[in-house]
Amino acid sequence: MKPLINSLPETVFTTKVDEILNWGRASSQWYMLFGLACCAIELMQTGGPRADLDRFGAVPRATPRQSDLMIVAGTLTYKMAKRTKLLYDQMPDPKYVISMGSCSNCGGLFQLAYSVCKGVDKIIPVDVYVPGCPPRPEALTEGLLRIQDKMMSERWLVKPSRPAEERAEA
Amino acid sequence: MDAQEIFATLETQFAGKVGDFKGDVFEPYLSVDGASIVEVCRFLRDGAGMNFAVLSDLTALDWPKEEKIQVVYHLFSYAHNHQIVLKVDLPRDNPKIATVEGVWKVANWFEREVYDLFGVIFEGHSDLRRIMLPEDWLGYPLRKDYVEQEEYDGISTQRAPLVEKLLR
Amino acid sequence: MLFDFANVLVFTALGLGFVGVNLLIGKLLRPANPQTRKLSTYECGEPAMGSAWVNFNIRFYIVALIFIIFEVEIAFIFPVATVFRRWVEGGVGVYALVEILLFIGILFLGLVYAWVKGDLEWVKKVKT
Repeated sequence: MKPLINSLPETVFTTKVDEILNWGRASSQWYMLFGLACCAIELMQTGGPRADLDRFGAVPRATPRQSDLMIVAGTLTYKMAKRTKLLYDQMPDPKYVISMGSCSNCGGLFQLAYSVCKGVDKIIPVDVYVPGCPPRPEALTEGLLRIQDKMMSERWLVKPSRPAEERAEA
Repeated sequence: MDAQEIFATLETQFAGKVGDFKGDVFEPYLSVDGASIVEVCRFLRDGAGMNFAVLSDLTALDWPKEEKIQVVYHLFSYAHNHQIVLKVDLPRDNPKIATVEGVWKVANWFEREVYDLFGVIFEGHSDLRRIMLPEDWLGYPLRKDYVEQEEYDGISTQRAPLVEKLLR
Repeated sequence: MLFDFANVLVFTALGLGFVGVNLLIGKLLRPANPQTRKLSTYECGEPAMGSAWVNFNIRFYIVALIFIIFEVEIAFIFPVATVFRRWVEGGVGVYALVEILLFIGILFLGLVYAWVKGDLEWVKKVKT
């Protein structure tokens, strides 16, 4: 049977159900530990006791199969880019990406190097960019909260406001 | 032994194959002929009073104006607490030298790195292939005339010209 | 007595129904987007090569075998324990006790054999 995704009319009841489902998703984002370089240390600390990510329901997972958020923390090299793309593809829908730190935003400090990919958005679509070198745990927490806002504003069961063709053009 | 004595011993043993000693720097160096590098290294490792049991580093330098690639060996001895640096000049268009993997096993990875970044071929090496860059990378990045490839694996290597963007 | 079985039936139906309804709700509410790369085997980002069926250590089998034997032994001892009081009141308690101790004793000899042979050690000592 087909899933009910994006197929119900927009009524008070269905939008409320949408809100509840989105709230459930946003309050339990399981992020994939994708720490590549120094930002990984800050990622670990953000998951640690002082600036806790677990209070938002975000627990770290080592495997892409059980995660719905990929925090790319650190410098992405061309050698790693192929593996990153495969790991992103192996995450189940719906998936989101946070690009943490300058190196994954744009290549950062190592932008002029021959082996550094100039930003992770060259290979995977990024939802939230968190600037910093490395970003403070509070900054990464803000990034997570923005993904929460993005999730809350999504239409899950309700039909989208624009038809699929218009959306695909954007 | 200090560096001057080491050079003197080497000169008596390998006359004509070593030269260009510079002793008044922090790390004294001398240059060795490329064809006899293995026997000089073996003598330095096993010779009495020498005992350079450790190859600390093996790197290279690119001199495009003098058209040479210089391979540099840093040797250290724990027994006598002395060190020496050897430099070998190779022609830039065909840099080939014998491997010292038989003398110090660690040279395996050092020489792979020099091959990866400079393109120096080490004859007799058991497994000469790229160690850091991906296997299908084109070019030797640490050469002075290296030009980045346009695209690797479908990813564009070009970056946005930042200064023009800011000036606009 | 038949009514008691209806009890069990209702509980089984509720259990299966609960699981089924939850799975159904999940099927309706989640997106279905199968792609070839998404379904590929996970091997830390590298393309998977070779078969995942490798030989595993035989000691897992030994431990499981010994466990099953003694678990079945326990399962046989339970009914004896439930009716033991009746046998004692009937005057033949000693007979029952000796019988069950003989049963345990035979299996205990098997345990001693496995112990002496070193099959209970996780890390076997190599004879040098």
